[in-house]
Amino acid sequence: MHLTIDNVSKQYHGGTWALRNFTLQLSPGILGLLGPNGAGKTTLMSILATITRATEGRVLWNDTDVAANPDSLRATLGYLPQDFGVYPNLNAVEFLEYLSAVKGLDRASSRRRIDELLNLVNLTDVRQRPLGGYSGGMKQRVGIAQALLNDPKLLIVDEPTAGLDPEERVRFRNLLSELSGERIVILSTHIVSDVEATATDIALISQGTLVAHAAPEALLQKVEGKVWEWIIPSNDLNAARQRYLISNVVRRSDGVHARVLGNLPPAGAQPATPNLEDAYLYCLSQHRGGSPA
Amino acid sequence: MNPTRVLYHMIRADFLERVRRYSFLVTLAGSLWLAYAVAAEKLWIVVGDGYRGVYNSAWIGALMAVSCSTFLSLVGFYIVKNSVQRDRETRVGQILAATPMRKDFYTLAKTLSNFAVLGCMVFILMLAAIVMQRMQAASQSFSLWQLWSPFIFLTLPAMLLTASVAVLFETIPFLRGGLGNVIYFFAWTAILAMSVNGVNDPTGLQLIYASTRNTLMPIDPSVADHFSFSLTIGGERAVRTFLWNGIDWTGTILLMRLFWIAIAAGIALLASLLFDRFDPARSWRRSKAAPAARTPDATVPETDSPLTSYPSTAPALPPSQLTAATRTSSPLRFAPLVVCELRLMLKGQRWWWYVSAAGILVGQLVAPDAGVRAGFLIASGIWPILLWSQMGCRERRWSTSALLFSCERSLTRQLPALWAAGFLLALLTEAGFGIRLLLAGDWHSLAAWLAGAAFIPSVALALGVWSGGSKAFEALYTIWWYMGPAHQIRGIDFMATTPASSTPATYAIAAAFLLTAAYWRRRQLLGYA
Repeated sequence: MHLTIDNVSKQYHGGTWALRNFTLQLSPGILGLLGPNGAGKTTLMSILATITRATEGRVLWNDTDVAANPDSLRATLGYLPQDFGVYPNLNAVEFLEYLSAVKGLDRASSRRRIDELLNLVNLTDVRQRPLGGYSGGMKQRVGIAQALLNDPKLLIVDEPTAGLDPEERVRFRNLLSELSGERIVILSTHIVSDVEATATDIALISQGTLVAHAAPEALLQKVEGKVWEWIIPSNDLNAARQRYLISNVVRRSDGVHARVLGNLPPAGAQPATPNLEDAYLYCLSQHRGGSPA
Repeated sequence: MNPTRVLYHMIRADFLERVRRYSFLVTLAGSLWLAYAVAAEKLWIVVGDGYRGVYNSAWIGALMAVSCSTFLSLVGFYIVKNSVQRDRETRVGQILAATPMRKDFYTLAKTLSNFAVLGCMVFILMLAAIVMQRMQAASQSFSLWQLWSPFIFLTLPAMLLTASVAVLFETIPFLRGGLGNVIYFFAWTAILAMSVNGVNDPTGLQLIYASTRNTLMPIDPSVADHFSFSLTIGGERAVRTFLWNGIDWTGTILLMRLFWIAIAAGIALLASLLFDRFDPARSWRRSKAAPAARTPDATVPETDSPLTSYPSTAPALPPSQLTAATRTSSPLRFAPLVVCELRLMLKGQRWWWYVSAAGILVGQLVAPDAGVRAGFLIASGIWPILLWSQMGCRERRWSTSALLFSCERSLTRQLPALWAAGFLLALLTEAGFGIRLLLAGDWHSLAAWLAGAAFIPSVALALGVWSGGSKAFEALYTIWWYMGPAHQIRGIDFMATTPASSTPATYAIAAAFLLTAAYWRRRQLLGYA
């Protein structure tokens, strides 16, 4: 089972290129797709979910060209879009029954699966309530359930934790890890901690191009010895931001603890253990042509 | 906050948003066609016994102004009845609600922005009127005042009234949607009917009626007893002419027109009283959809503690142990999807909808034949209109497109299933009539009935997919239904209410064509085959 993204580009009306020569080969596991807003993540997700066609390049699902035969992928696809709606007069069971019929699933087995999925996403108690009365987080969980209806081999989730409270976010991360065994999961987000907790592979995307594709450990190695903790008075913080790439700031009684990314430490700074957020910011900064001090 | 500046920017933003829409251009094209129809002598006002006015500035101005008043007071309403809804859908309304803006200011601004859109179309027609008069070889001396004064005093107040009524409908929850679109058509028809009965009407038809009658009476005294007045397209042609120099804009007449402006202002203020200021707790749809769930977060905890047990249910199975998802291999695999689509259509209807539908159905079975054809059958053609109108645009309205269109064979399964559900709905609501035809062995009428039942969802689906909304079907279908089946006119009676007015082959072909058009457009929108 493999998904090949071969030199894919996407141009929108008006000439804007949202993706440029994007190439990636995926096998079972969780790919965390990280990038800033407007990087092209959702465009890539839409192409992979057969919602829109690539302007150039090919997407191959087990060597079958998806543009020529989209149903080869759709039959095994689970997709949770970034923005989606529900039919407000249907309850969760009816909505999922409707989508399972659209997906061509067997009625009896899908009923059992719907019950189990609603339990999995913690909506059993409100399963008979019209979706119009659901909160944003509850609708998001319905979206997660529908993406799993057909036991997909390729699961694409675009900003899945948006709207979820911290508890449900943890639950979703665990669910995603459990799902990843024999399928390809693509998790698109700009929340680094979601990726840090689940991804077996990370792709960094910026300005429509692939910046890096590596295991989390490999990305962390890139910033090994380049992260420093620097304690400075709070009124020096703005000046420090002008001179250094600062990934995080924590205010403590002895001053501001700033995480500085750079090849050389500021005077008095101590080495710090890098995390994925540091690696992400470092790679993006390198891509944009910035050079940390 | 400078109120004038706020007002200006609200009107400007709304205006720009709407004039850049396709529907604005289509309506403008329709209006310009009316102007052309005047110049090409396809559109007539026929008064008395086959009279029309000599094509001078007064006659052309009046003809174009009342055509514009009647056309835009109907079509224009559907064009502008979305400004509050758009603020609601885009959540801009919530931002506005958090500002010091007053409700009456908001509804007044929305009325004026609606008026700006309609007024823009009127202004273009006023310019076109100059060209049209120049094109008329028989036109007399040119007078800008005579040409434009009917637009200023008749059409613009009618547009202001239309603009304010659109805002009012948007602030009354049950008129906000399709029901309001249907009701407006009947209200508009009633107002037009008032004009020929001597009642002061907003479109100004009655003023033209009275003025032409007064001018014609000395020429042809017979009109005193039986004066007729008709605005027709391609119908009866006038054979005689008379000189009419326009309406004498007396103080009384101007006051009558001011009355409609005052009514429009009053309606805008009334709308402010009914406006919910985007408060979700006052949302009718929410309370209708979830009567027991107005505050879901308060009544039911959204989450349990993380990764803990579920108090009222069995523990969740890990994903690997869930029931396997299997594809259906049944030869009837299409049927469950049709049932789901039908359920989706019917879900959310109130009890009285079903009671009325059942009443119509029983009436079709037990009433005398004439009563069925002139009453119950026609009623069954309009009763489910708001269900059919969701076809083809429901996915866009509720943002489920990405969920549906990423499914296998969504184009070749979901779209036909949706059409089949609409067809079934038509058959169900008209079943009583169908059973009667079957028992009578009237095969021609039965074929016509089936063709009509296939035609309705085809129109709904095609208009829904092409326009992306329900309004086009709600407006066009209501007009068609009123002109065709309700008046049993051959050619446009798609429901075949009488054997004489039925044309089954035409509507069967039209249904197939419209279905193909819907399929083609959806395929184009998907970007994938």
